Amino acid sequence: MRFISIILAVSFHLTVNAQEKGVFSGGFETNANVFLRDSTINAINTPQYDRQFFGGEAWLNLNYAVDGFTFGLRFDMFNNSNLRIPTDSYSGVGIGRWYVKKRFEKFEINAGYLYDQIGTGLIFRSFEQRPLFIDNALYGASVKYDFGKEWNLLGFVGKQKNAFETYSGNIKGLRLETFKTWGEENPLSIAPGLGFVNRTISDQSMADVVNALRTYLDEDRFTPNHNTYAVSLYNTLAWKDISWYTEVALKSDDIFYNPMAIKTEFVGSSIGKLVQKPGSVIYTSLSLATGNLGMTLEAKRTENFSFRIDPNLRLIRGLINYLTPLNRQNTFRLTARYSPAPQDISEMAYSADIKYKFNKSTSALVNVSNITDLNGKLLYRELFTEFQYKYLRKWQLTTGVQILNYNQEVYEQKPEVPIVKGITPYVDFLYKFTDSKALRTEFQYLHSKQDFGSWIFALTEYSIAPSWIFELSGMYNIEPKKVNPKGLIEKTLYPTLGAVYIQDSHRFSLRYVKQVEGVVCSGGICRLEPAFSGVRFSMTSTF
Amino acid sequence: MNRLKIIFSCISVCILLYACKEIPVEIGEVIIPDSGKTVLIEDLTGASCPNCPKGISAVNNILDKYKNKVYAVGIHGFFLSNPTPKSKFDFRNPHARDLENWFRPTGGKPAASINRVRRPDNSLLSYLPDLWLSLTEAELQKAQQIELAMEVSYNTESRQADIKVTAIPLTDLNGDFNISIFLTESNIIDAQSNGTEIIENFRHDHVLRTMLTKFDGDSFTSSMKRGVSVSRNYSFTLPVQPAGLWIPDNMHVVAMIAHNSSESREVIQVIEKHLK
Repeated sequence: MRFISIILAVSFHLTVNAQEKGVFSGGFETNANVFLRDSTINAINTPQYDRQFFGGEAWLNLNYAVDGFTFGLRFDMFNNSNLRIPTDSYSGVGIGRWYVKKRFEKFEINAGYLYDQIGTGLIFRSFEQRPLFIDNALYGASVKYDFGKEWNLLGFVGKQKNAFETYSGNIKGLRLETFKTWGEENPLSIAPGLGFVNRTISDQSMADVVNALRTYLDEDRFTPNHNTYAVSLYNTLAWKDISWYTEVALKSDDIFYNPMAIKTEFVGSSIGKLVQKPGSVIYTSLSLATGNLGMTLEAKRTENFSFRIDPNLRLIRGLINYLTPLNRQNTFRLTARYSPAPQDISEMAYSADIKYKFNKSTSALVNVSNITDLNGKLLYRELFTEFQYKYLRKWQLTTGVQILNYNQEVYEQKPEVPIVKGITPYVDFLYKFTDSKALRTEFQYLHSKQDFGSWIFALTEYSIAPSWIFELSGMYNIEPKKVNPKGLIEKTLYPTLGAVYIQDSHRFSLRYVKQVEGVVCSGGICRLEPAFSGVRFSMTSTF
Repeated sequence: MNRLKIIFSCISVCILLYACKEIPVEIGEVIIPDSGKTVLIEDLTGASCPNCPKGISAVNNILDKYKNKVYAVGIHGFFLSNPTPKSKFDFRNPHARDLENWFRPTGGKPAASINRVRRPDNSLLSYLPDLWLSLTEAELQKAQQIELAMEVSYNTESRQADIKVTAIPLTDLNGDFNISIFLTESNIIDAQSNGTEIIENFRHDHVLRTMLTKFDGDSFTSSMKRGVSVSRNYSFTLPVQPAGLWIPDNMHVVAMIAHNSSESREVIQVIEKHLK
């Protein structure tokens, strides 16, 4: 707090001395949940359902720019929140972020909690995903130096944020980027970059690794390293309507937990152990945008690229890097129900996205993705189509179908369950009564014989611009396959009823929600979350 | 020239860092003092828990290494504890459910409590089976505070077990203390999820079948004086059903004395005896 007071004092001093008017900006976001216990959908056995009944979060972000300086401060509050661990309650209040940035003629310095990345983030990305309680800010300092107009070099060092504390390991890195262009009429340009990251695990983390290795037999033991080095080389080549991005990342011997590796025990074996191996990722994306045709082809190969601040952390904790998902990020409720998280140990992924605009009112899209492990075992396959027709400014129809195969065994660690095969036709229809009044309806049907079985989802949304949106939706398990907590296979309705009010840059929403257990993804990172039953209020505001 | 310098500097830094060789870390052994100190592992597990066999292996390895010093109880509460589609038995019971609710394994399963000692995150549980050995050894290095004795007599005809637990403090101990008595069953062959498969003939050991005390223990005594023994008696009649379970030859009685305060729930000493 003392440091923050100094920052505020310095910023005031600068304002007075520089005789320059500073610019204040910021944002506020809050979620408030009232938990209503419902054993029929398994919305039970968490502290919020059992005794707390309320949980929420709030973030207030303030930025102040003056005389080449930028100061930032963020207040974070978690009050019986289920974001950190969906089955538990977490409370904490404090300064979630502060930073100071100063721009000089040729260089820039940053200190505090910093967000940045190298390339697409294969070897380093410090970022925030609030819906998943991910805030991997780098608590440290960075310096960026511009060598002329084309070259810049960034160096950074720090620790990774862990809620209101930091993890004990250290991260340092360099990023060198440049930009070159040739030709006048149809210029050819390249934007290559070179990244380097060193992660040193702490003595405490190493003590835990050593304690684990003591339980390993000789065939599984290794001599652990404190340091891991990762490099990435990337480039965007652009010519005419074509853009081709390529990134190659390599990682030296690194300790990580492989959940599928066989550990030899004194008697028999078990699954999952710490290993120390090098890793690699190759990612490429080719985009074409010409006339009415837009196309993106992507491929990614990942091998042993779990890169964490502490090898004893699991799931989405302590991630230093970010692996880009190649599957389509769907938005409709049922087409987004089975979303694959990028696999960091073994994955081979391809995707193609082709969009064609026939005329001003008609367009079509086809997206295909195929994800396997490196042994060819199918993890995910999706065919997604979309047809869109706009009739003047009166109505708009969006329709299509999704066909997918989803390996639930791997993505949700459910043993001996079959691959989920789903076919989901959908329709989205928007009708404008007047310039300010419109009705949007959605209908989706997910046909599946696996997991929960088949679902229908219907939504109707009436908007009165610019302020009001009213919505009513229901997700209904029309052909259930799963036994509920009562031991019965029953058809269950998951309704949502809500209203949104928008005033300038402030948005308020209030909803009554029943939500089925499922995988929740945000920015390509996914986790399994339990069912929800209750009332949700949320608010976002920017100023 | 300027650019060449930049590239050269960067590559040099990378090569220099990459070329640095660390002094290898030694993986040594831990020396356990020769004392009567014993440790209890409470393993929160479940037949439908795909990662739990890893926890069970870790517990078995510890029990093999420290025979008669470490005892285990497998708690099949509710989370991932439902029988698999191939299971014959349901190991869940009210005491296991209440214990699991009390421990709250919010980090998932397997999870284990080693002598109910709090971890740095204030939880009583550790979610990394690879670390349970070192946590157990840390407990074995502590001084023994009480001597625990247990007499078990079992009547084959009436199926009644009579148990007497006696604690003799080796030092003066202040505070409130609870006693917990677990009845466990081993050598049960039944299905268990393991990764992406179900093992049909998995051997389940130390399965908590019931408790003779309340799930969080009965009050034992307040403050103990060195050499002054404290005893408690319990009785229990083994059910006959279901067939294949409650087999006296496979059953053990585990008794433990633990602190009972909001600051500490730490287990002081534990003892295990065969039922027959």
